[in-house]
Amino acid sequence: MSEFKTNINDKIINSLKSILGNPNVLTDYEDRYCYAYDATAIGEALYLPDVVVLPENKEQICQIVRIANENNIPIVPRASGTNLVGGCIPLKGGIILHLSKMNKILNIDKNNLICTVQPGVVVGNLQQEVSDLGLFYPPDPASLKVSTIGGSIAQSSGGPRGFKYGTTKDYVLGLEVVLADGTLLKTGGTTVKNVTGYNLTQLIVGSEGTLGIVVEATLKLIPKPEEQQVMLAYFESIDQAAEAITGIISAKITPATLDIMDKNTMVTIENFHHVGLPTDMEAVLVLEVDGFKESVAVQTQQIIDICNKFGAKNIRVSQNQQEADELWFARRSAFGAVARLRPNVLTEDAVVPRDKIPEFISKTRKIFDKYNLTVCIMGHAGDGNIHPNVSLDLRNKEEAENFEKAAEELFDAAIELGGSLSGEHGIGMLKSGFMRKALDENSIKYMKEIKKLFDPKNILNPGKIFHE
Amino acid sequence: MNEEKTKFKNLNDYAEDVYKCTKCGLCQSVCPVYKATGRETTVSRGKFTLLNGIINGKLKFNKKIAKNLELCLGCKACYDFCPSGISAEEIIAAARHESSKINGIGFIKKFILANFKSNFRLSLLKIGLDIYKTLGINNITDLISKVTGNLGKYLTLFNSQLKENTKYKKLKPVKPQSELNIVYFSGCINNYVNSSIKNAVLIVLEKNGFSVNIPKNFTCCGIAARSSGDFESFSQLAENNLKQIPDDVDYIITDCASCGSVWEFYPDFTEGKLKEKAKILAGKTININKFLVEREIYIPENSKISKKITYHDPCHLKRFQNVFEEPRKIIKQIQGIDFKEMKDADVCCGAAGTFCISQPEISKAISSEKAQNILNTKADIVCTSCAGCKIGLSQGLIEKNSSIPIYHPVELLAELYLKDEK
Repeated sequence: MSEFKTNINDKIINSLKSILGNPNVLTDYEDRYCYAYDATAIGEALYLPDVVVLPENKEQICQIVRIANENNIPIVPRASGTNLVGGCIPLKGGIILHLSKMNKILNIDKNNLICTVQPGVVVGNLQQEVSDLGLFYPPDPASLKVSTIGGSIAQSSGGPRGFKYGTTKDYVLGLEVVLADGTLLKTGGTTVKNVTGYNLTQLIVGSEGTLGIVVEATLKLIPKPEEQQVMLAYFESIDQAAEAITGIISAKITPATLDIMDKNTMVTIENFHHVGLPTDMEAVLVLEVDGFKESVAVQTQQIIDICNKFGAKNIRVSQNQQEADELWFARRSAFGAVARLRPNVLTEDAVVPRDKIPEFISKTRKIFDKYNLTVCIMGHAGDGNIHPNVSLDLRNKEEAENFEKAAEELFDAAIELGGSLSGEHGIGMLKSGFMRKALDENSIKYMKEIKKLFDPKNILNPGKIFHE
Repeated sequence: MNEEKTKFKNLNDYAEDVYKCTKCGLCQSVCPVYKATGRETTVSRGKFTLLNGIINGKLKFNKKIAKNLELCLGCKACYDFCPSGISAEEIIAAARHESSKINGIGFIKKFILANFKSNFRLSLLKIGLDIYKTLGINNITDLISKVTGNLGKYLTLFNSQLKENTKYKKLKPVKPQSELNIVYFSGCINNYVNSSIKNAVLIVLEKNGFSVNIPKNFTCCGIAARSSGDFESFSQLAENNLKQIPDDVDYIITDCASCGSVWEFYPDFTEGKLKEKAKILAGKTININKFLVEREIYIPENSKISKKITYHDPCHLKRFQNVFEEPRKIIKQIQGIDFKEMKDADVCCGAAGTFCISQPEISKAISSEKAQNILNTKADIVCTSCAGCKIGLSQGLIEKNSSIPIYHPVELLAELYLKDEK
């Protein structure tokens, strides 16, 4: 057992076993080998944890964190490990806290429109459960069938519906957080209005497991919209599509989703899935409007008129749920299609002001063309959040290096246009080196002070957000 | 050894497939084993990481990895969901084959596989079971089982597999005799354990004017051998079964999902002329539900079955043979039936061949969840089309103290025909 990278020793392993029971403490090399990654493509690098634990309740987590703190052992929370910035990768070894067994919805309160959940609850499952009661939890990261509430809170994730409904941060009312010393912090409450002191809840949201470990969350729900309608509008140029976006927004329409995909994305999806997308168009807008039946009909007609005015070549409107699902399938299969092009996919997440989208898309294309990389550009046009999906083989050193260079130029381009590094994926280990590009001195200074106050020994997900 | 390497695909042949796992982790949302264990090593993403480590020489193919490879049902749910389209089921079977060379196959598994390889041993089993049934000992053990806890549950499970729903009776055909040359591959369970489904298939086919030929020397289809990685046995069984089939056959009918799924694999496990034959026969193999739905079958107007019924999709039928609407159509055609879809009808039942024996705890957890979904429908009968699933469904229902009968859709039809004839 001398192979531990940290202060972990047999005695500590035994204490963990007495807290959790033997089957919930994994120490075999092969087990730990499967916790050295998340959904981030990091090539051959290997960051092994020393031990993986699977707690079943918050009391156990308090005890585990106390042990980690007393012994200066890094601790990294993880649920489904779907983030794209290396957020769950144990850079400095230590303990992985796998929350897969804390996946219970504790309460859904129909009268107060709130629910209380454990961090391992899958977003899609929660959406289904509340939907059955006529309620709605809007944040919809692309990975919602598997990604969890804990991960959503840690990364403050968003999704296509962000434009109308906001992102995870807008739905978190209260949290229970295990702090670095193993004590429990309760933030916020169960009410939508709450201005009792500093807003610690929002400080924890998006803190990527560096300030504390979320062990319970109270979330806001809203009534489920009566109806949805999905539309695809095809354009011969990105500029026309962008004008249509501006047209829609200035007409005071707020679609639930206003996504864009470029030609490369459409061609790639068609290659693998044959969903009937045109391969000769430069851009497609994916729009969803929702609300009361009458309102959906009015919004749909307005959008059709605006898209036509700005030169849409064709508009497909879903006539029933099955067609809506088919149109959504086209959008949702984009990542999978890109994944089939080459062995690895890297997804970027820069965000720019909405009116800079055409410029940013054209710059993105130029940058990746310059480095000879295949890129499919898609994103949430409504909120300026653009995802270039780059298809490559990281075993090819030149390609891997070219990607690094292109990513940096991409960040520069986004910031130059008044945007930032990340819209919804977070910083993690991948973008920590670029924080100074996006933030001023004081922001970084105060963030670091906050980190020190919460976690003086730097045991909570060390090496994330801040470059060390 | 070298010769074998050329005969079967090995792990290195899948190196690119394993590497292209993007680690998106979507497989977690559909993997029943991951749901039961919560451990990353049990889901395809984890297994691909381990296999990639072996291929790169970073990990040794030791028993610990072999043990993790055991934790796959081969249900193919993740394949449908995988953005990169990687078939974990196929790759894990190949990895198990490689592992059996390095780490061996476990004793219990070896024993089970050996039995399936030998028609003689299976016949002995049949004699034993026949005695057990005729003497009525099962009634006694059923009584005992109620008071003996866990062991009793195994006894109940065992007895539940012997319960016959349909007895054979020659019925008067209602259609003219068909010219089709049909081979019926009835499978081990029908031949050696419980011929109820075979009886039903014969009743239904004969009533509709089809006669079938059942070659005497069929062996086990080999599904358990293939998924355990015992490719040598699988290929022997494949060769034998292929040889039994006349060249001018029009259809090979199977009633069991697993027995039906292997024919698609046979070409990869045979050589020369037999391989060519296997390719042709793979296209002629058809599940009984599909065969019947593709034809106008007789549905008596004056007989009905007034029951509430739900249906469980066998993995080997829905995801391996794309047959899922047909059994439902058959059930719904019958007068009086109130069909109620269960939640997650196509999630694995937990039996998965030898999995229920090598991983009883996980298997039971998966089966119990399945049983709960069945019970939630308040159905009187649960239907399925696979001998293996019958074990998984019984196992779960016994855990939940329920004794809902399990029927093959064709058994329902047979029951209807028998009623009609009275």
